Amino acid sequence: MSTNTNSLDDLKSAAVDGGEVPKESQTTYTPFFKRVLAQKQGKIGLTLTIIVLLLAFCGPLLLPWATGNTATEFVAKPFSPHGLFGSDNLGRDVLSRFFAGGLTLIVYSVLATALGMILGAIIGMLAAYVGGTFDAIIMRLNDVILAVPQLVFALLAITVLGPQGWVLVTVIGVTHAPRIARVARSATLGVITEDYILAAEMYAMPRWKVLLRELLPNITGPLSVEAGLRLTYSIGYIASLSFLGLGLQPPAADWGLMINENRIALSIQPWGVLLPVIAIALLTIGTNLLADSFARATASTSVEA
Amino acid sequence: MNTPNRRQALGAGLSISALAGLSACGGGSVGAADAGKPIKGGSLRVGVTGGNSADTVDAHIPVNSGDVCRAVNLYNALYGWDDDSQVVPLLAESFESNADATVWTCTLKQGIKFSDGSPITPDDVIFTFKRITDPDDPKTAAANFSMLDKVVAKDGRTVEFHLSEANGLFKDAVAEYTAAIVPEGYDPENPVCSGPFKLKSFTPAQSTVLVPNEHYFDYDKMYLDEVQLLNFNDSDALINALLSTQVDAIAQIPVALVEVIAADERMAILNSETGMWLPLTMRVDKKPFDDVKVRQAFRLVVDREQMIEQVLSGFGTVGNDMFGPLSENYPEFPQRKQDIPKAKKLLAEAGYPDGLDVELVTAPIQSGAVESAQVFAQQAAEAGIRVKIRRVDATTFFGEEYLQWDFAQDFWYTRDFLPQVISCALEESPFNETHWDDPAFNKVFDKVRGIPEVEKRRDGEHELQKMLYDEGGYIVWGFANQVDAFQKYVGGLVKNSTGRPLGGWRFDRVWIGKV
Repeated sequence: MSTNTNSLDDLKSAAVDGGEVPKESQTTYTPFFKRVLAQKQGKIGLTLTIIVLLLAFCGPLLLPWATGNTATEFVAKPFSPHGLFGSDNLGRDVLSRFFAGGLTLIVYSVLATALGMILGAIIGMLAAYVGGTFDAIIMRLNDVILAVPQLVFALLAITVLGPQGWVLVTVIGVTHAPRIARVARSATLGVITEDYILAAEMYAMPRWKVLLRELLPNITGPLSVEAGLRLTYSIGYIASLSFLGLGLQPPAADWGLMINENRIALSIQPWGVLLPVIAIALLTIGTNLLADSFARATASTSVEA
Repeated sequence: MNTPNRRQALGAGLSISALAGLSACGGGSVGAADAGKPIKGGSLRVGVTGGNSADTVDAHIPVNSGDVCRAVNLYNALYGWDDDSQVVPLLAESFESNADATVWTCTLKQGIKFSDGSPITPDDVIFTFKRITDPDDPKTAAANFSMLDKVVAKDGRTVEFHLSEANGLFKDAVAEYTAAIVPEGYDPENPVCSGPFKLKSFTPAQSTVLVPNEHYFDYDKMYLDEVQLLNFNDSDALINALLSTQVDAIAQIPVALVEVIAADERMAILNSETGMWLPLTMRVDKKPFDDVKVRQAFRLVVDREQMIEQVLSGFGTVGNDMFGPLSENYPEFPQRKQDIPKAKKLLAEAGYPDGLDVELVTAPIQSGAVESAQVFAQQAAEAGIRVKIRRVDATTFFGEEYLQWDFAQDFWYTRDFLPQVISCALEESPFNETHWDDPAFNKVFDKVRGIPEVEKRRDGEHELQKMLYDEGGYIVWGFANQVDAFQKYVGGLVKNSTGRPLGGWRFDRVWIGKV
């Protein structure tokens, strides 16, 4: 017996000697947001986004204080050079309408993106995790929906259901979902063979817990990139739909609507178009740069040059 | 014939503005021409918007602006409207009614001919009215001739219209351009014309070329060799085409842009006061508008001056909830003004002390429509009326629910009071948006309708007008001017109150001056 015990001890010590001892990681871990901010794009993107967000959220608060007018008050003849940025197609102050017009666009875009992310992530993760026929069916259905251009889908839904806020958010969110689902699925596939998933399954952890606790945290990288990208698209689509008259209804102040209302007078009163165009451009560029830097930040856990 | 597309128009517009900029730098001014005395010859190029694949040259079913232009220039009715919207003879020499206005006798002008050289005879007149009132395929003007029993030829130049009921307004009805005379066996595919021009070529949604009709009775008084009507997709392209001299005249420019064009000294603006109105329509049989106090309150919240200023950039005249401002019997009722306290009081009496919520359906049916809805919403808010604007597209607006909306808008060209009533304020009216159907009103109307003399109708018309003014469902806040633009070398375009653009589309009196 004693020999046996000795040989076992020997084996143990041999294993410890020969085996890899856990060492300090070669790379130093830096928190995600620091990795984002360490990049130039990240900084620029964040600054641009924050500027536009501040404008959109604080603008309505300081409306009469900053401009002396409400967003719907008539102050001059249409398209006359009244005040700082002139008046719009009905003679309302362009600056006050600009201040008031960003909030809904941003709120709708964020809501639509959030909805799309939730739906898409669930579908993608389930498809990858369950696999087999279920995966095949879900992903082919996904392809079918992907074949329809998003804006066309939105136009259709809004024409049928009417131009209401919830329709706008839902339809943009739902049409985002298949695109996000693809990303979520492929990210999940990369993670699903990892040992910690197997370990969790061996512990007979409920499947929803595996998905939520083990899978989801490990695909947040690609998903956050996707979220940033989808947010950019959401802003673009919702502004386009407003421009086409299918978003907010007049007399509400809204950037997309402002562009449409004032475009005929581009040559005599450009501000009614330019201000919202600049804001939308800054916002989309900002969110896009942020998404870009998210992508780089998720590529490694350390700070890149 | 190519229709310039938007890019070409824009490109040309850019190069012209570059040129203009250069010459401005040189200190010289771009030559400001004047059309001068009428001269013969030349081709007129006219730009319009709103054309589509359903464009037509049919005399009796014009729909959009281009259709109307073609109809007016290719065909003549027995009577027509002059620049002051008065009825004047065209193909007819005289038009008399019997004492009770049930038989009207028309004498055609001597020696008038169609564009193929054949004479215009009573048989053609009979054919025309048969075609218009064809029960299987009624044309646009059919509603005006519902009481037309039969048309009979008396001799080579005389026709009699027998009516089943008295109609003192029959002459106004035959003066509509939609009642133009066409020859027997008329084929709109290959039209033989009774108007000053005949058709040379026609491509729907693109272009139309008209040449003078040498058999037209006033052929000697015409100047042009040719008229080209060109379609553009939107106002931007249209304006750029004018500024780049791709076209000589354009119809209906957005009023807010008048100063852009006026600033160019090569251009002239034609600003005609008309009787075109863009009312808000309240259904008198639906809550809350079935209560006359609510209708009165709504009429009192409108600041009409501001409407004209904001919606029409000042290019319009104030309305007084009464249509037909150019009618001889237009009443002199006190001008209705914004009166918020009174409106609030009326609303409280009607059971809405805290104001009320209404939905206003609007659509881009005419420039200024959506805008006026917004201005109204803003003005109404002061009286506690919370207006929710629902903007639909024009197709939806004129779709199944058209004339059924509780609170919406509509658009009308210049009409005299009584023809307008026939169109919109009787139970059988084809466009009774407000669902106005008042027995007392109908009784007076039936009496007035049978009187052929305008002066004798005065009291009756005023009685009708008073009822509409006090209780009607229209908010007539103003009348829009017709604003067109043209190169200064184009002569003969005069102000015209009918609401038809460019001098009532009457190109038979237009000339191209020396540039």
